[in-house]
Amino acid sequence: METYVDAIGVDTEATTTETTAKQNKKKLKVMVAMDESKNSFYALEWAVEHLRDVISAEPETDQAGGLLTLVHVHPTYLQYIYPSGGTASAMYAIDSVPESMKKAREESTTKLFTRSLEICRGKLVKTETMILEGDPKEMICQAVEQTHVDLLVVGSRGLGMIKRAFLGSVSDYCAQHAKCPILIVRPPRETSTSSSTKEHKSK
Amino acid sequence: MATGEEKPVMVVGMDESEQSTYALEWTLDRFFAPYAPNFPFKLFIVHAKPNAVSAVGLAGPGAAEVLPYVDTDLKHIAARVIEMAKGICQSKSVDGAMFEVFEGDARSILCDVVDKHHASLLVVGSHGYGAIKRAVLGSVSDYCAHHAHCSVMIVKKPKIKH
Repeated sequence: METYVDAIGVDTEATTTETTAKQNKKKLKVMVAMDESKNSFYALEWAVEHLRDVISAEPETDQAGGLLTLVHVHPTYLQYIYPSGGTASAMYAIDSVPESMKKAREESTTKLFTRSLEICRGKLVKTETMILEGDPKEMICQAVEQTHVDLLVVGSRGLGMIKRAFLGSVSDYCAQHAKCPILIVRPPRETSTSSSTKEHKSK
Repeated sequence: MATGEEKPVMVVGMDESEQSTYALEWTLDRFFAPYAPNFPFKLFIVHAKPNAVSAVGLAGPGAAEVLPYVDTDLKHIAARVIEMAKGICQSKSVDGAMFEVFEGDARSILCDVVDKHHASLLVVGSHGYGAIKRAVLGSVSDYCAHHAHCSVMIVKKPKIKH
């Protein structure tokens, strides 16, 4: 940094462009929102493949990799609330979840993350997992704010306009409210129609 | 030279707004500039020039005379947008980008361009409209996120609150 001695612009400009170039070369911190749906896993696979260049470490140039955060939000289902009416019922949701349901949830989460980490294996990027509880769309946006990620990746269920209005869309909400750029991965056309019909039939 | 491996295609939609410029700069900074000269994507920058008739909208009797002026104005804006995009690419030393201008509605144009180039990724800025503005003015980023046949990245200019 010896060019700081020359306060007059010429050389310092060269160092600043160099430092910005080095800064920009820094790999991205990417957060991927996961749930158990097929589209989520597809989104993760897509992200890992296409963003490989911007998140993976490059051992040849000694470039440190970015960070890949997999976040899963447990929605607090209203059906866990015993019908007691009033605003106090919202507080019961977390406490009164029966033990067996909790265990089942933990098992499914572990399965989800095991599968996800399989996908991320060998891609030369530090991967971490995060489990949150609450309303998925709000928790994801909060997580983005708190961890200052560069990019949020979400899958998209490919719902039509009317379904989105009624069922709500996490990707829609995040696109509007997340404080960072958001990448919405659309499922390939054939699988989206088949998976949505499958979901309907299984329910 | 053999075609070898084909790079995935990235389409960036641009209009004359600041948010678009920010989106392009952010994308070039993160996805292109550090990897010169081997960029990980093939880049297309697309500007949708609104149709003069739709821009004037439901005008009164004077509309026919205004149209040529509006059209020239829109052409100037389109040229400016492309010049600016070229300037940004040059300043980041990103070459090999293709620039295209189409006339019509931005939403359908962006989706068509994605299909035409078999893009893997569409990047758009976002005006950050609130719910009401969105309902009235419509949101190109919203439409593209749900109708484009590829993944969509929406880059927002952060509102700095300190």
